[in-house]
Amino acid sequence: MTELSLRGAELDKTRMVRLLQDYGVYAGVVVLFLVNVVVTPNFVSAENFRTQAVQVAPVLIVALGMALAIGSEGVDLSVGSVMALSTSLISLYLGYGPWIAILVAVLGGMLVGLANGSLIAFVGVQPIVATLALMVAGRGLALVLLPQLKDIRDPGMAALGSGGVLGIPYLALIAAALAVAVAFVVRRTTFGRRLLAIGDSRPAAQLAGLPVRRVLIGAYVLSGALAALAGVLATARLTASDPTSLGTLMELSAITAVVVGGTPLSGGRVRIGGTVAGAVLIQLLTATLIKHDLPPSWTQIAQAVVIVAAVYAARERGKR
Amino acid sequence: MSQDHTTPVRTGAVLVADEVTKAFPGALALDRVSFAARAGEVHALIGENGAGKSTLIKVLTGVYAPDAGTLTYGGEPVRFGTPLDAQHAGISTIYQEVNLVPLLSVARNLFLGREPRTRLGLIDFRRMHRETDAALRELGVRVDVTRPLRSLGVGAQQMVALARAVAVDARVVIMDEPTSSLEPREVRTLFGVIRMLRERGIAVVYVSHRLDELYEVCDAVTVLRDGRVVHTGPLAGLDRLRLVSLMLGRDMGEVRSEGATKFSGDHDPGTQPVLSAEELSLRHTLHGVSVRVRPGEVVGLGGLLGSGRSETAKAIAGALAPDSGRVVVAGAPVRTGSTPAAIRAGISLLPEDRKAEGIVPGLSVRENIALAALPALSRFGLVDEARIDAVVDTFVRRLRIKASSPRQRVGELSGGNQQKVLLARWLAMQPKVLLLDEPTRGIDVGAKAEVQGLVDELAADGLGVLLISSDMEELVEGSDRVVVLKDGAVVAELTGADVTEDALLHAIAATGEAAA
Amino acid sequence: MCGRKARTAARLYARLYRTPVPHVRTAARAVIPPRGVAPRGPRTSGDVMKPSAQPRRTTVKTLVASALCASLALAAGCAKSEDDGGGRKSSGKGGDSGQVVASPGAGGQQTCSVEEFGGEKLDLKGATVGFSQSEKEANPFRIAETASIKDEADKRGLKLLTANAQSQFSKQISDVQALIAKGADVLVIAPLNSDGWGPVLRTAKARKIPIVTIDRKINAKACEDYVSFIGSDFVEQGKRAADRMIEATGGKGEIAILLGTPGNNVTTERTKGFKDRIAEKAPKLKVVFEQTGEFAREKGQSVTEQLIQSKPGITGIYAENDEMGLGAVNALKGAGKKPGAVKIVTIDGTRNAVQGIVDGWIDGVIESNPRFGPLAFQTLDAFTKGEKVAQDIVIKDSAYTEKNAEADLGKAY
Repeated sequence: MTELSLRGAELDKTRMVRLLQDYGVYAGVVVLFLVNVVVTPNFVSAENFRTQAVQVAPVLIVALGMALAIGSEGVDLSVGSVMALSTSLISLYLGYGPWIAILVAVLGGMLVGLANGSLIAFVGVQPIVATLALMVAGRGLALVLLPQLKDIRDPGMAALGSGGVLGIPYLALIAAALAVAVAFVVRRTTFGRRLLAIGDSRPAAQLAGLPVRRVLIGAYVLSGALAALAGVLATARLTASDPTSLGTLMELSAITAVVVGGTPLSGGRVRIGGTVAGAVLIQLLTATLIKHDLPPSWTQIAQAVVIVAAVYAARERGKR
Repeated sequence: MSQDHTTPVRTGAVLVADEVTKAFPGALALDRVSFAARAGEVHALIGENGAGKSTLIKVLTGVYAPDAGTLTYGGEPVRFGTPLDAQHAGISTIYQEVNLVPLLSVARNLFLGREPRTRLGLIDFRRMHRETDAALRELGVRVDVTRPLRSLGVGAQQMVALARAVAVDARVVIMDEPTSSLEPREVRTLFGVIRMLRERGIAVVYVSHRLDELYEVCDAVTVLRDGRVVHTGPLAGLDRLRLVSLMLGRDMGEVRSEGATKFSGDHDPGTQPVLSAEELSLRHTLHGVSVRVRPGEVVGLGGLLGSGRSETAKAIAGALAPDSGRVVVAGAPVRTGSTPAAIRAGISLLPEDRKAEGIVPGLSVRENIALAALPALSRFGLVDEARIDAVVDTFVRRLRIKASSPRQRVGELSGGNQQKVLLARWLAMQPKVLLLDEPTRGIDVGAKAEVQGLVDELAADGLGVLLISSDMEELVEGSDRVVVLKDGAVVAELTGADVTEDALLHAIAATGEAAA
Repeated sequence: MCGRKARTAARLYARLYRTPVPHVRTAARAVIPPRGVAPRGPRTSGDVMKPSAQPRRTTVKTLVASALCASLALAAGCAKSEDDGGGRKSSGKGGDSGQVVASPGAGGQQTCSVEEFGGEKLDLKGATVGFSQSEKEANPFRIAETASIKDEADKRGLKLLTANAQSQFSKQISDVQALIAKGADVLVIAPLNSDGWGPVLRTAKARKIPIVTIDRKINAKACEDYVSFIGSDFVEQGKRAADRMIEATGGKGEIAILLGTPGNNVTTERTKGFKDRIAEKAPKLKVVFEQTGEFAREKGQSVTEQLIQSKPGITGIYAENDEMGLGAVNALKGAGKKPGAVKIVTIDGTRNAVQGIVDGWIDGVIESNPRFGPLAFQTLDAFTKGEKVAQDIVIKDSAYTEKNAEADLGKAY
């Protein structure tokens, strides 16, 4: 570029639109937060922030994995079922103590991810179809393993679900640590770089000699592991394994968080900060509606509006 | 046709852009550009990449709305809301990249949106196929019109696009580098069609980097540079050097000193081949092709479109799995059909389709350069940013890559700079063999010279280079040796003093007769 | 020990493939890529993708299967759950399930007899009974319901054929038709839907098979298309929950409702009964919060967490099922509340909720009785003998409070 002369109001307008697309989700969180500070009783209290943080943690963790799948120009619909599978496994293996049980649950999630990734990378099944298959199969498997809700009485699990350090719940700390870790993976590792390249242009990545299959499988294994971990935390919080309802529609919440956070569905870009903000935005929105006791149908409408807005923004971004 | 007598200069002007301005974030693409396409005139639109040609065409065809200025069509001010509006009004465009529907049949593409109907309102396929066949024959193309478009070669696809433009009774036909993927024979046909269009009183806007073509077919010329019109007028009487200097905005002497291409001529190759591909065969495409390249040697792959040049390169680079044949690099056999194996062995391929297979458009210049070499630039799976910066910095300077910063997205760069980024990506791998498939296609004159100079330099450094180019001049001047392919087999090899355009033409022509 | 479990895993795997887990087979089919869809990409790159898209298609099933098998083996192979070895008695069978009695007798109501129905008398002893369950036995209610039917059939020494529609209505229709084809003389149906029973009822009618529907009504003519409906009165349950709530709170304060799944008749009726009774008897008790917990514990917990943040002074919570109530208990525990600080009344009568009363967290549980077996067979027995039976029979729901919870814990399902 020889000249970078930015002139005219219209140029400013395009810049504004772009800024809004990139940072709109943060603005949304700030606005919703401030609105709540003014209109919601007892909103500004440590206890309330703890509640919101604890509730958002599982969605956020699932969304982190989802962001990786979407960044590879795919999607992972099996996350909700992986959570259910994870909760079943926890219940089945808790006899060995919580650590072993958590390990088994996460391994189970990774196996589902491995199956997803293999179908996509080796067989060439489209991600939406492959992960849909495992979404159905995973839930079925979870119910075969544990046909009905079962209480968890292990004190370790209970502590994980409701305890904390210096007033910050473990769930929030774990979610934050994972967000930082995933951001690090995306930005600083060869895996992350390759993932983005593959998501942006698969043929180019292939010709550049990247291990496309390995990276794709890695992305889905990570997504499965994160979903399983989210299942563990949700189980700990509930102090019960409920494979029937745990994680239902979780894939939609996660996709919403990722897309609202500015990660394009067309792949090649992953915004972890945005994903965190997207999850928080939806949590705040739901909390606001519930706290003000608005009819449940309003919650659904509000979520629909956010999704439409996000898809609209994604469309604008897709135009480049 | 309405005549505007108040502005006699524009008599006969069909499509006029007046003081058109268009800005994008970070760049002013068009700055008060005026342009007029007149009936019965072939008007060349030229300029380096990034000069604003593509943007102007997109404004003329309704893809972009201008930020300021007006469009006049047939004497009336117009505002095309969509490309479809412009198309319906009679403005046809043939883009650099064929923008038809690859999965539909040739005939469906030709009649897209205006399919003939039977009395029952269904598509009249028989009539459609018959008329498509006739229309394509008129342009000298004979293909099965029921096949999906993507199964055709790029050249044939282009002719389908052209046939479509002619068929819709356009008043203005805009061609954006129509010859870049055509064979010489097809180019002749194209020029015939262009002259026919001119006879019919159609205004033709012709965008090309090939100066020979301009002088052969165009009447007038408009030169753009940095989003502004630097010259407009009749082409006759404007000599080549003047034209080039207008485009480049450089001194006359400087252009002359650079010569036609940047290649310096012969190299001093070693004796043992660094690359030998033996008897590569691939169903329908390659029949026992053997190529050897010695260190420091530039071997050209000649032949017409579809002769198997790109396929040979891809088979060597592991992007295509040959049915049989061997690839040996520096004495060690390479597993075929695996890109990573080929890359590890030191083979690098600059693919023909730069945009789809080469660059990763959403990533930055920096990430693109470092992409293939990531393992070497990482420790324990963590990217070593400092080393990447060093490598990127070296190549950006060495290859003179023009980007606002290494963080700029490659998709935003001009074609020439994209190509340099790709070269940098491979040079960072310290390859032994470089396969260049149309390295200068679709990039502007200045960048073309630079790329050619680089290839020369690399060969001088001892790299083996396999060069594929449709530009005969480039092929002949750049190569030490030319292997000529025809229908997937080697038919001739030109060496030493025989490497001339004349000999190459003869080789292609002779075999053509032999094969027929 | 692990070896034995691995064998169990193999059996489980086989079962997974036979058991119609919803859509599993459809999914397996969906996994196989449709021809020609495999490699997507820009036009010139088709050939680049070829190598990866070549054979392997046949391996799809194997891949999915082996992945599932592996995870199953992993899961069941050496599983050791928290209370392995100890184990509670499987619910449903326990307790004195014979307590079920129809509250309004045959008198005064519309009745039905064999003559009116147009059937023939038969001796229920030696007859074959077909039972069609609507949903997977994955929640305590369905488990207890099915168990109760089975137990009663055993007790009476009848031949019982069962089918489970796995929440798919089309499957339930074919289930019932299959039961008829297998020679069922009488049918007990727990319908998934109220509508769409026309064809099945015609088939049954043609063979003069009496039908009793349980827990949900079907839209058809009683004593013509079917004999009787036996179910709970959800409005009444709501009213009784309100009574319990009024008693617990002393009739004043602010209370919240955790609604069931929106649009569900159970939700609507339990809400209506509760609110009507509150308005009628305790106008000082204000409903200040109504949000759905979708009958799930997790959702009940989240909503209650939000509730106690924004309305810390809440006096009572009415949960329209036990699960949401248990979620509310979790939320209160998490917020550091003491047992009894917030009065909780729930409906269903599951063992966990009754245990909640014993522990002091829950104040009352209104039972929604799933044990239709004795009543259903009693009705069919009377009907086939030629006696008159009521067309609508409401099952008696008991209630649990701190007075009887500990003693009656065994009765809870």
